[in-house]
Amino acid sequence: MSEIDYGRITRDGLWSNNPATVQILGLCPLLAVTGTVVNGMGLGLATLGVLTASNLLVSLIRNTITETVRLPVFVMIIAALVTLTEMIMQAYTFELYQILGIFIPLIVTNCTILGRAESFAARNPVLPALVDGFMMGTGFLVVLVLLGGMRELIGQGTLFADMDLLFGPVAADWQIKVVENYRGFLFAVLPPGAFIGLGLIIAGKNLIDGRIEAARQRHRAPVEQGTKRVRTTGKVG
Amino acid sequence: MSLILGPAPHTMQQGDTGAFMRQVVYATGPGLAVLTWIFGWGTLINVLWAVIVAVAVEALVLTMRGRDVRFFLSDWSVVVTGLLLGLSLPPTSPWWLTLVGVAFAVIVAKHLYGGLGMNPFNPAMVGYALLLVSFPVAMTAWIAPFDVPTFSESVALFLGQASPDAFSGATPLDTFRTWAGDAQALAGHDILHGRIAGRGWEWVNAAFLLGGLYLLARRIINWHIPAGFLAGLALPALAFWLVDDVRYADPLFHLFGGGTMLGAFFIATDPVSAATSNQGRLIYGALIGVLIWVIRSFGGYPDAVAFAVLLMNLAAPTLDYYTRPRTYGHDKPDRGIG
Amino acid sequence: MLSLLRGKREPIHDFPGGIHPPENKARSTAAPIRPGPLPHELVLPLNMHVGAPARPVVALDETVLKGQLIAESQGRISAPVHAPTSGRITAIEDRPVQHPSGMTATCIVLEPDGREAWAELEYRPDWAATDPAALLEQVRHSGLAGLGGAGFPTAVKADPGEDTRIEQLIINAAECEPYITADDRLMRERSPGIIRGIRMLAHLLRPDEILVGIEDNKPEAIQALRSAAEGTDIEIRVVPTRYPSGGEKQLIQLLTGKEVPAGDLPARVGVICQNVATAYGIYRYLEHGEPLLSRITTVTGDAVSHPGNYEVLVGTPVKDLLACAGLDADRLGKLVTGGPMMGFTLPEPAAPVVKTSTCLIASTPEELPEPPPEQPCIRCGACAEVCPANLLPQQLYWYAKNDEFERAQQHNLMDCIECGACAYVCPSHIPLVQYYQYAKGEIRNQEAETAKADRARQRFEARQERIERQKAEKEARRRERREAQRRKQEAAPSGDDGTRSDAAVQASATSAGGGSAASGGSDGSGSGNGDDESRADERARRMKQLKVTYNKANKQWKQAQAAFNKAQRDGADNLDQLSANVDKLRTRADEARAELDALVQEAKTDVEAATGRDLKTLKKEATDAELAARRKAKEVQAAREAGATEQAQSLEREHEQLRQDADDKAAWLKRVMEEQGMKEDE
Repeated sequence: MSEIDYGRITRDGLWSNNPATVQILGLCPLLAVTGTVVNGMGLGLATLGVLTASNLLVSLIRNTITETVRLPVFVMIIAALVTLTEMIMQAYTFELYQILGIFIPLIVTNCTILGRAESFAARNPVLPALVDGFMMGTGFLVVLVLLGGMRELIGQGTLFADMDLLFGPVAADWQIKVVENYRGFLFAVLPPGAFIGLGLIIAGKNLIDGRIEAARQRHRAPVEQGTKRVRTTGKVG
Repeated sequence: MSLILGPAPHTMQQGDTGAFMRQVVYATGPGLAVLTWIFGWGTLINVLWAVIVAVAVEALVLTMRGRDVRFFLSDWSVVVTGLLLGLSLPPTSPWWLTLVGVAFAVIVAKHLYGGLGMNPFNPAMVGYALLLVSFPVAMTAWIAPFDVPTFSESVALFLGQASPDAFSGATPLDTFRTWAGDAQALAGHDILHGRIAGRGWEWVNAAFLLGGLYLLARRIINWHIPAGFLAGLALPALAFWLVDDVRYADPLFHLFGGGTMLGAFFIATDPVSAATSNQGRLIYGALIGVLIWVIRSFGGYPDAVAFAVLLMNLAAPTLDYYTRPRTYGHDKPDRGIG
Repeated sequence: MLSLLRGKREPIHDFPGGIHPPENKARSTAAPIRPGPLPHELVLPLNMHVGAPARPVVALDETVLKGQLIAESQGRISAPVHAPTSGRITAIEDRPVQHPSGMTATCIVLEPDGREAWAELEYRPDWAATDPAALLEQVRHSGLAGLGGAGFPTAVKADPGEDTRIEQLIINAAECEPYITADDRLMRERSPGIIRGIRMLAHLLRPDEILVGIEDNKPEAIQALRSAAEGTDIEIRVVPTRYPSGGEKQLIQLLTGKEVPAGDLPARVGVICQNVATAYGIYRYLEHGEPLLSRITTVTGDAVSHPGNYEVLVGTPVKDLLACAGLDADRLGKLVTGGPMMGFTLPEPAAPVVKTSTCLIASTPEELPEPPPEQPCIRCGACAEVCPANLLPQQLYWYAKNDEFERAQQHNLMDCIECGACAYVCPSHIPLVQYYQYAKGEIRNQEAETAKADRARQRFEARQERIERQKAEKEARRRERREAQRRKQEAAPSGDDGTRSDAAVQASATSAGGGSAASGGSDGSGSGNGDDESRADERARRMKQLKVTYNKANKQWKQAQAAFNKAQRDGADNLDQLSANVDKLRTRADEARAELDALVQEAKTDVEAATGRDLKTLKKEATDAELAARRKAKEVQAAREAGATEQAQSLEREHEQLRQDADDKAAWLKRVMEEQGMKEDE
């Protein structure tokens, strides 16, 4: 950990170690609230804020707290931040706050946040911790929005409905009716739809990873053939 | 001389999976005919469309999976899936309803698990359950028996150009559920008083029973699952009906109402997702029957074949595990972690 | 109802499952048994039976007579081979044998001379008066080995052990596989002989009941047996035709209701099962002295024009037999040996007919077509319904396919008899038996590996223990001796003779110039009071000392010689002195050497006295055992590579024994040498 690779932290958070699609953490809010884009985005932003701030604070005090009490301290920091977030949402996006309900306070229990505090922020300097928190939060947010979008589109036939709940009256006309007179597909909005949606997103990610790997192999293959390399294992690529 | 080599046995019984599945298709004939007679062309259109969609989706998925399309289509399993789902849908179903259900059944319930033989759930019932929770109104829009829409009306319904509201009427099960406990109202609903059970539906079930007996006679299915199924449904129904015949429907009403016979002989007997030992099959069928009765009597849905079957699909491996037969030369069945 | 009227009749029990494949028996039952061809050469594999291969006792080019022993059995589970006709041994070499992979195995090749000259045969017409044990010993030399196809040496099977009471002797005449009619024809034509053979078996086994199980599709055979068995206590029990009623376990269940416990032999439940043709073979052997030279093999299938049963000399190449039956080679598709349910396809018609060849099916491609491609299992359970062992084939298939061998074992894969009923009914055309065979092979390999590792560990531990023990014993003896000596010294502190040997030894050990002391000490070895062990111990010490003395003297002598030579070249004047020194040292070395040799000789004599064999023999035996073990290891390797798992396993077991033997012999040799005070390098 001597050299901090910000590119790597970014890649980890957004893609290769994404909290939702790779670590499969924080499933409870992920599956419960992603009925629409605005819900997903609301919770995603809240989580992003908490995660960034908690990583920052944990990293700041990482040399002061002892091993034995670190977990309670982390939890208290996170709880304080969540309470703060809750109050902010109560003040500015009250309706969304009401829709998301219990899932806002439940951010405390999101394993991603404690996990990053424990495994990254507590061992790294402030700036990398901050970047890591932000990137992990963004990765989580992206999946939430994506899943919310999928479920909203399939379930209701719209996208970005009720964005004014989050962004104020300016966003009232952001809604896109993708299909007119859509009957609604309740299944996508119900919890099973969330499971299948997340499964599809993970499958999609794996598919892309597979393609990238295949492309890389293809790229590498001709180089190998010409060279006089001693084969030490049974198979080549 | 070049000799043909191959593993023993060198002789095999005639027939293959395709023939097996085709027998199931033939056996649905009487049921399909009666459904068409009582509820009009809608069911026939549904079935045809469902089978077309099923085969097309299967071919598409097989192509995407890089499998031999012709070879895998030759097992006819997807035809049975489409057929059973088509038979379960109300005759007023628009084309897209069937399309969504069948596509989901084939893609998600069958192929995402690895294709034929690997699916833990009955694909047709997964499709049905999906449609039922997503489109409860469309999925309960049955037609009053013998109030048959014309062919053009059926086509209009199928194309979504007509509203099913004009034709739909409650099924006997639905009616009973609504008025259970009110003796006067129950007596006043004609639909509840057919020759054997609910009007119209009694004949549908009788026809599927006939088809089911054909399957039994041809040894396509075993008696264990249907027998368990019907007993599991009839016995609690009988017991509770004897206690309170106003609140609980009589056993015949249950046996010849809703999807009972279709479920008992065609759906619960899907070998892939059912229990495999004979004892296991008996229990499997019986528990499906009990679950159906429980959901019909106390649940939120008028009929329950799909849910009961799916729930028991989950239990099938456990049943198999606890009902292994005693092997030759062993004192008792081994039931280690298997 | 009818059976009730007929009076007391034991009920026929039932076994689960079973199938009714088309029988296809009629075409080969029409004609009586015909003699097989006399081919240009007979190829006689050494392992036509289950167990250790026989060992050739004839030399190349040797002329043999019909019925003469040409390979003797090796070990308990083995069977000898006899010359099926008179002729000349032209080769003892690897030839293709009946095996699905076209494997080769060591065969004796016999060129018939057509004279059919019989060897002198040993009759046993007095068998009824002979002691069963002696009779059994006789049967061991008959070469009989499960003629129903299993090939288990008959004598081994007929010897359940002293304390096993046999309640039922079952004669398997079910012949449930389609196509095969060899036993059917045999029973129709030679029932009296069969009945006599059964009575001989009964004489050996003394069973409470003798039951003959036969399927109801052979009315003529039933009739023939019934009339031949008239007046004896042999019961002919007719069982319904259903495959695999002729499976040993199934027939036992059908006739007695008993089940053979998993992994055990029928004798455990007091049953011995022998094939009807085997019973006939015993009759031929005991009453006519004929060992197993020929067998009745059904040749059938659409590709032969004269299907029927042939009495074929063992070793007749399949192609000669087929030619004799009128093979149309152009129409031949699959060539199956054994029945269509459990037999295997032959890649090579040059392979010989062996003792277990019940049937050859030369089928056309239409008759036994290639199986259609395998479809996915839909868990229909048809397989479970027909499984005679009450297994769940669909689960076993799943586990075998996914290499989950442990689970397959928990589902009792090992109880599968590979009858093929499941694969016969499978609508998805899955070659289930192949999957099970694969899984069983893997499981056996794993078990063999584990067992081997276990045995190696045990051997190692035993060896360690032995070494420790010997060390401790030696130490104890030494201490005892020292103690005794000390006591002696204490008893006679002034006496000189008590310490004489000790002093002598010390002198020879410490002083390079003590040549005379070395020779003088030779009688010191007798101080061990005649106690062999201490004498040997003493000798060991002496020998070590003498060796040191000899080496030292030898070296000094050489140095002295070199110094003398140098002095001679330089023309030094002390040549005489040097020469004397050389001679003295040389004498000393020679003396030490002579005494050493004498001691070795003495030790060798002691070895012979202790073991009854001279050291050379012991060494040779150890070396021979070692070589035999290594040879067997190579055979195991070869069998493994050829994919003959079954055979490899039996070879492996033999190898283990040989290995053990070699190790034991080596250890003994070492111990003997150590005991007699000799080191390995002597």
